[in-house]
Amino acid sequence: MKRINNLQKLYLIAVFIVLYAPIFYLIFYSFNSGGGMSHFESFTWEHYAAVFEDKRLIVIVLNTVIIALLSALLSTAIGVLGAMAIHFMRNKGMRNAVLSLNNILIVSPDVIIGASFLILFTMIGVKLGFASVLISHIAFSIPIVVIMVLPKLQEMSSTLIDAALDLGATRRDVVTRVILPFIQPGIFAGFFLALTYSLDDFAVTFFVTGNGFSTLSVEIYSMARAGITLTINALSGLIFVITVVLVLGYYAISKRTKMPMTGVKK
Amino acid sequence: MKELLRGTILILVVSLVLLLINNNLSEGSNKTGKNILTVYNWGEYIDPDLLKQFEKETGIKVIYETFDSNEGMMGKIEQGGTSYDITMPSEYMVEMMAEKDLLLPIDYSQIPNIKQIDPYFLDLPFDPGNKYSIPYFWGTVGIAYNPDLLDGQTFESWDNLWDPSLKQQVILVDSARETIGMGLNSLHYSLNSTNIDELQEATSKLKKLSPNVKAVIGDEVTQLMVNNEAAVALTWSGQAADMMSENDSIDYVVPEEGSNLWFDNFVIPRTAKNIEGAHAFINFMLDPEVAAQNADYVGYSTPNLTALDYMDPEVVADERFYPDEETRSHLEVYKNLGLKMLGIYNELFLEFKMDMK
Repeated sequence: MKRINNLQKLYLIAVFIVLYAPIFYLIFYSFNSGGGMSHFESFTWEHYAAVFEDKRLIVIVLNTVIIALLSALLSTAIGVLGAMAIHFMRNKGMRNAVLSLNNILIVSPDVIIGASFLILFTMIGVKLGFASVLISHIAFSIPIVVIMVLPKLQEMSSTLIDAALDLGATRRDVVTRVILPFIQPGIFAGFFLALTYSLDDFAVTFFVTGNGFSTLSVEIYSMARAGITLTINALSGLIFVITVVLVLGYYAISKRTKMPMTGVKK
Repeated sequence: MKELLRGTILILVVSLVLLLINNNLSEGSNKTGKNILTVYNWGEYIDPDLLKQFEKETGIKVIYETFDSNEGMMGKIEQGGTSYDITMPSEYMVEMMAEKDLLLPIDYSQIPNIKQIDPYFLDLPFDPGNKYSIPYFWGTVGIAYNPDLLDGQTFESWDNLWDPSLKQQVILVDSARETIGMGLNSLHYSLNSTNIDELQEATSKLKKLSPNVKAVIGDEVTQLMVNNEAAVALTWSGQAADMMSENDSIDYVVPEEGSNLWFDNFVIPRTAKNIEGAHAFINFMLDPEVAAQNADYVGYSTPNLTALDYMDPEVVADERFYPDEETRSHLEVYKNLGLKMLGIYNELFLEFKMDMK
């Protein structure tokens, strides 16, 4: 690979500044003893202490994380199966139709999805709360997982499957030992994308929360009128640090257990 | 495959642990018995300590949820699937919800503290006889300005906004009723005018304001004013209070021609399960000491007359937020003008926005 020149480096740095400056700005003021984000008075931990004192806020954060993890997990499972179903569909017209239906859900506005879920849940008598949020998050994450997994399936040569079958693999072996390991990067990508989608979704979630169950995005949006407090800055700072730690951890693990990408594994 | 399985198990275990922690934290909020009260309020619009105090005094467990817009709140209540016992809509939304039959009438025999409320804020056109609502906080629409960025302009009159020296300095709110209303007020017309000629006149007057208009935006205005990036803004008193708490230079004034008087109100939605608890909660919040503490925390003006005695005299004497009789007599509460009239307001507002260069 050609080494990047200084101009390219400069450009890259500029991009990262644009991406990270708002976050660091936010975190910087989370240490401000003054009430707002206008001028920095002096250093304090009080906003971080406030996060841990506010039980309601912690419950909401945990709710958000639980919903994100579970919905990402389930939607990944369903999405992978869906992607395989689409990929191995014989009828080409049918395959394109299903794929288009999948893509429509990706581009349709969240408000519409949220409002439809609200109407659906109230019609069939599902109480709004944990279950309704989880179901809707799974629902809007599935199409994303499908889109992340499909290219990997298309990349896979069909001779690989034929060879496995010739060598006496059962259908189950083909799925668990050939297909799944090969599309694993796509599965992880789908999972993490679903995770972030779930974490920051406001529009859909707003409609389907209820009965004391709420997520962080809904909570922060509703502060808009009375002003967002620095507690939220502190919380954002914490979440940012946790995310960085997780990413570094993931990086370390994946580096250690790195194996050649042959696609077939015992 | 092994990695996938390991990942799945890891995630399940983590979620389970988090669920357990969560259950421990929200212990007591287990939905047993009927001694639960679900409150649906704007974010950061109550002192959380008061919720704890209420729980301690009455043994009723409060579940607290928040919303970010009147419309979103009504949408959820209308659709059902939830059982909010109390919510705090603005005045026009009270009227709309009452029209849609979404509210329960308030039983005043359970709310003796109603006598603490300033009669000036009761029996208003949006809810005659306060059948469904009791005021929670109130405020005005006015002008927030930063004298540091201006050469001595003041805003006793709406007409001052039209001063040619204010080129590109004024920020308006992106809301038809407020902006058109400001035009109407500046012409000494009623905020609730349904007279097309008056509305047209107000719009053409607004169009003359466009050289001075820097932007027409929503809640972001607070940050712009605080950061000294804007000098003048049409805004609500509550928002102005936020600005002033972060930037000492900012001042707020309600022009003499008059302006809008707004309210947020306690109401009991029809979906309420714990009606008795809802009344107890309202009565608790109307207690003078409680209302005073809440007003200190939230920073908006309380309609609770007795509570004023328990508050910082300096705050209560601040005529920007507790205006005198004279100013109040010029204030008007929005009436529900009906969908058709609202459409006309929106259209005129759009016309004004399109006219801006």
